[in-house]
Amino acid sequence: MENKNEEDLKALQLRFVGKVIAGFTHEIKNYLAIIKESSGLIGDMIKMGKLSEDDIPEYLDIIQSIEDQIGKATEHFTHLNRFSHRMDTQISAFNLNECMEELIALLNRFARQKKIVLETDFQQDLPPVKSNPSILQLLVFSFLEKKIAGLEKNGRITVRTGAVDNAVAVKIIPEGTFAEEDTDAGMTADKIRENFIKQLGGNISQGTAKETVITLPVHGV
Amino acid sequence: MTEEIKADVLLVDDEEQFLKVLSQRMEGRGLKVDTSTSGEEALEKVKGKDFDAIVLDLAMPGMSGIETLKRIRSEHPDLQIIMLTGHGSVEKGVEAIKAGAVDFLEKPADMNKIMEKISEAKRKRVLLVEKKREAQVKEILQSKGW
Repeated sequence: MENKNEEDLKALQLRFVGKVIAGFTHEIKNYLAIIKESSGLIGDMIKMGKLSEDDIPEYLDIIQSIEDQIGKATEHFTHLNRFSHRMDTQISAFNLNECMEELIALLNRFARQKKIVLETDFQQDLPPVKSNPSILQLLVFSFLEKKIAGLEKNGRITVRTGAVDNAVAVKIIPEGTFAEEDTDAGMTADKIRENFIKQLGGNISQGTAKETVITLPVHGV
Repeated sequence: MTEEIKADVLLVDDEEQFLKVLSQRMEGRGLKVDTSTSGEEALEKVKGKDFDAIVLDLAMPGMSGIETLKRIRSEHPDLQIIMLTGHGSVEKGVEAIKAGAVDFLEKPADMNKIMEKISEAKRKRVLLVEKKREAQVKEILQSKGW
């Protein structure tokens, strides 16, 4: 049984990293495609002899669009870079909102594909948390994956953060119609989550209407 | 710039900025371009107009590219569909070809390559339409006993 849990945990970790990388590379390829076509369009316009002063606004629009795409791609790279570095150390002091924002940015594509809105509602000025951000992201991912798979299109999932006493909380609130009751990929998904939350010294509770609340002590395990 | 091609093309992609620049570049090469930002919209467009080629994104919110491809092919088997996508797996390419796509290009794609594929698609479509007409003429002649 222990081996089965270990296997399921590894499968979840691989699926998590695989999903993040697949989503990331797809987004980047889209930005690159727009940059490529935009720069190609500038070349086309020059070859067509569109070189009068009247053409300058059109050139500036295209250049702005290239800059916008580079900005979006850079933001995505920053998220992926931070996500990767969170695995460098086991325990660190981190900002919960930044940790969740990064995860949502990297997973947003999968929600969008299903026409599900993935949004955030963060309490500002949260205290820094001393814990394992990588495990927390994996834990939140395991719930988000399940809810994205289960919700029908035009649903919504809000990831809300908040602080109470010496703890912070992540609340995952799905809204919409659920097509499937339970979409956990592994039989031992709840056991894995229990294991994660034990490592983080926190607590998982179910709120109303399929809400999930993950609570973490601010000062760690 | 590549040689001009006269063809009616439908571009389907959920990225509006991509549609805007790609259609401008294609129009500069003589193509008549229509655009759709979803599979559902593309299905409506092909009902009212004949296109020589459709350039279709694979990963779109809602109705996926594969689903759109299958639906269009089932209602308009003559339409030539080229998949253009950021999803570069071999499995997806095979799935698209099996579902009836004539080609599979990966984003960012080379403009000359896209134009080449559109030109090929148009040629195939013209042949199919000619064959269909020939068969219709034969049928009429036979039914009249000529």
